[in-house]
Amino acid sequence: MRNRRNASLLNFFSLFIIFIILFSFIRSGQMNNYYSNILVTVGISIIMAVSLNITSGLLGQLALGHAGFMSVGAYTAGIITKSLPDMPFAFSLAIALLAGGILAALFGFLIGMPALRLKGDYLAIVTLGFGEIIRVVVENLNITGGAAGLSRITRMSRALAVDKKMSAAIQFGVVFWLMVIVVTITFTLGRSRHGRAILSIRENEIASEAAGIPTTYYKLFAFTLGAFFAGIAGGLYAHQIGLLTPRHFDFNRSIEYLVMVVLGGMGSITGSIVSSAILVSLPEFLRGFADWRMVIYSLTLILMMIFRPSGLLGTKEFSLSKTVHKIQKFLAKKFVRKERKPKLPFVPNYDVWEGKPVLTVENLGIRFGGLVAAENINLHVMNDEIVGLIGPNGAGKTTVFNMLQGVYVPTCGSITLLGKDIVGKSTYEIASSGIARTFQNIRLFKSMTVLENVKVAFHTRMTYSPLSGITRASRYDSEERGIDIRARELLHVFDMDDVADENAASLPYGMQRKLEICRALATNPKVLLLDEPAAGMNPTETAELMDTIRRIRTRFSVAILLIEHDMSLVMGICERIYVLNYGHVIAEGTPEEIASNEEVITAYLGMSNKDNKEDKAC
Amino acid sequence: MTLFLSQLLNGIHVGSIYALIALGYTMVYGIVQLINFAHGDILMLSAYLVVVGITKLGLSPALSVLLSIVVAVVFGVILERVAYRPLRSSPRISSLITAIGVSMLMQNVAQLIFSPNPIPYPITLSVPALNLGGLYLSFTTILTVVLSVGLMFLLQIFVSSTKAGKAMRAVSEDTGTALLMGIHVNRIISLTFAIGSGLAAIGSLLYCIAYPSVAPTLGSLPGIKAFIAAVLGGIGLIPGAMLGGFILGIAESLAKAYISSRMSDAIVYGILIIVLLFKPAGLLGTKTREKV
Repeated sequence: MRNRRNASLLNFFSLFIIFIILFSFIRSGQMNNYYSNILVTVGISIIMAVSLNITSGLLGQLALGHAGFMSVGAYTAGIITKSLPDMPFAFSLAIALLAGGILAALFGFLIGMPALRLKGDYLAIVTLGFGEIIRVVVENLNITGGAAGLSRITRMSRALAVDKKMSAAIQFGVVFWLMVIVVTITFTLGRSRHGRAILSIRENEIASEAAGIPTTYYKLFAFTLGAFFAGIAGGLYAHQIGLLTPRHFDFNRSIEYLVMVVLGGMGSITGSIVSSAILVSLPEFLRGFADWRMVIYSLTLILMMIFRPSGLLGTKEFSLSKTVHKIQKFLAKKFVRKERKPKLPFVPNYDVWEGKPVLTVENLGIRFGGLVAAENINLHVMNDEIVGLIGPNGAGKTTVFNMLQGVYVPTCGSITLLGKDIVGKSTYEIASSGIARTFQNIRLFKSMTVLENVKVAFHTRMTYSPLSGITRASRYDSEERGIDIRARELLHVFDMDDVADENAASLPYGMQRKLEICRALATNPKVLLLDEPAAGMNPTETAELMDTIRRIRTRFSVAILLIEHDMSLVMGICERIYVLNYGHVIAEGTPEEIASNEEVITAYLGMSNKDNKEDKAC
Repeated sequence: MTLFLSQLLNGIHVGSIYALIALGYTMVYGIVQLINFAHGDILMLSAYLVVVGITKLGLSPALSVLLSIVVAVVFGVILERVAYRPLRSSPRISSLITAIGVSMLMQNVAQLIFSPNPIPYPITLSVPALNLGGLYLSFTTILTVVLSVGLMFLLQIFVSSTKAGKAMRAVSEDTGTALLMGIHVNRIISLTFAIGSGLAAIGSLLYCIAYPSVAPTLGSLPGIKAFIAAVLGGIGLIPGAMLGGFILGIAESLAKAYISSRMSDAIVYGILIIVLLFKPAGLLGTKTREKV
């Protein structure tokens, strides 16, 4: 522990020493203006690349208009410092940077609200479109100086101190520490519950929503935060070069930053830092080959992609991330407060539902266009009951699940969960009010670890704010340690503690199914929906699964509603069964009643023949 | 009214060029889900080839155009083979960045060879325009529209009824299954790039006749406009590219005439955004909902 503390302290000081060395080099003139300018450009590019990485890497939404936000920040900041000539430059600069960031964030919010409903390439195109619209509008406004640009913006390298060298050195300091702050915020936020929520959206949006994450909110949050940082970078840029023209912020500039992000590795913050530094300085080193440098640059880009398609670092980070975390932990312990007790997540009291139905569905139906997918469905699930939902393929079983979880909004009928009507609520609200599910085709957060998969689902039971996450406040600490304990306990119940730190994608199939159940339970549901939990399992695994399901019911006191085609499982563990065919409930009863029901046999086999009963398990 | 009609004609003229270029984007996207950013630069490449053919090699205009088409086709196939095929199983963003890299490389190599200064396009059509009661219909417009629409119909017939066209559709639906059905997927993808590049070369001819100035960045603007057209109509769909191209061209020239020529780009993007917000898969695209 002590060693680690020393190491983190060392890291913090090494950052400080780098700063001091570079600062004094610039201050003394050993590093001339040309090089200090490159350093400043690197710093600004790092802020841009890291901020774009929030949207494109962490959130996984490809954005091609990031330069648009930069230009909003740049012009705002430039106009503000120009209109406050009497104020000391340091003050007006601070105001300008902040205002630039805020206005860019506002743009991000307004653009993100409609645009983030789109995905993939369509989102990419819409962001490209918005970026270009911003540019064209800037080109046609008077206040921004039109196509000629906004000139004579006070430059940081001149105005931060009387002495020119000192001023350049301070400029470097401003950019350096702002960069450190942006990077640190991105790191710490990325490792909080909010960061996990954002990552889970990238991994699997549907599963994320089902685990209780308000995905729309987090997409917008990440997009806005990215725009805010880009705005600040824009403000710095404006006061670095002193002249802004709309051409500075065209599509190519957005691409330039995207290249930095992809080359460093989507989702890797340290990757973005390294690649920004390389990509900014590489063309400078190639200046000797003036004509050839862009050719070399683009060739390098192509070759890099062909030979390292996931970028320099992939999604990995340098250990710096951990050390930044540790520094704060260390500082927090040293200066602020004692270690808090872990705060265990809130557990609702479900005892009052003893012997009562926890889920009641009345007259439920849904149409897709003219197709009636489900109609007049009535069912209920008692407290701690295991109920089966069976029927031939296409009978509407999964459709019922989707309505229960708010993925589809039913056309008619009511769904009552724990005495409350939940029709029309969104999936994440339903997830946090007590229905969790697993999926027919496994939906894990594949590149996150097993433990993180479970932790994502604890989201709704934690309360600390993004700000507490960034500053690593005591609430963050106690809540995170609380869910760490709970998540590991949960994994222990499923004998998965030894794979806790492995990637979810690397687990064998059976384990992946178990992890899905585990994640569903982490939202603390009262009703657990299992969609074909035994699909693809062999008889031994199925038997084990039956045992697990029974164990879950008593241990977590949940009611279970499951869809399954494996009749040995359904008949073996369900206390009651509903049979669905063509969107209607055709039978309801105990396994024995269902097994001898003529209508059910007809639905499965197309004819009424008791001799074929054995085959119907297939 | 005359102004409106002549702007409409202008729009149809430009729109059919966009549509022709958009076909290349849309076919490639349909089959490998790649936004081929270098597609616009194939326009530039063929324009320079025509220049070289006529001024340096002393070929006839027809021969130079033929040469430019052949080279563009070969180039497209090689490009896919060398730059995109190795990345087919990588994250899609990597192929996208590679395409951007290829685009940058082509522009910079062209700049090295031909310098960044624009040179005049050597082919001009000096056929007098038809006077339709004060409305002038130029021969170029007729040629462009007829050629583009004709090619699009040919392409549509090719894709819908020939064996190779059916294979192409199969690959774009599901590459893995197409492979299992015995379709030579690599060959089909090469064919797609070949057709797309060939159409781009013809698009280049029509574009340069309309705007007779050749520079290394020639392809960027029509490239991006054509791409927007493809998305507007529904990317991956040939009729979508056509519809998108015409809408874009007409909207652009009407915006230039009636609203503001400097704001016309913003208006075009605005249309795109509004369409996508209401029809997320483009005008002719059908929204597929992910199965839960």
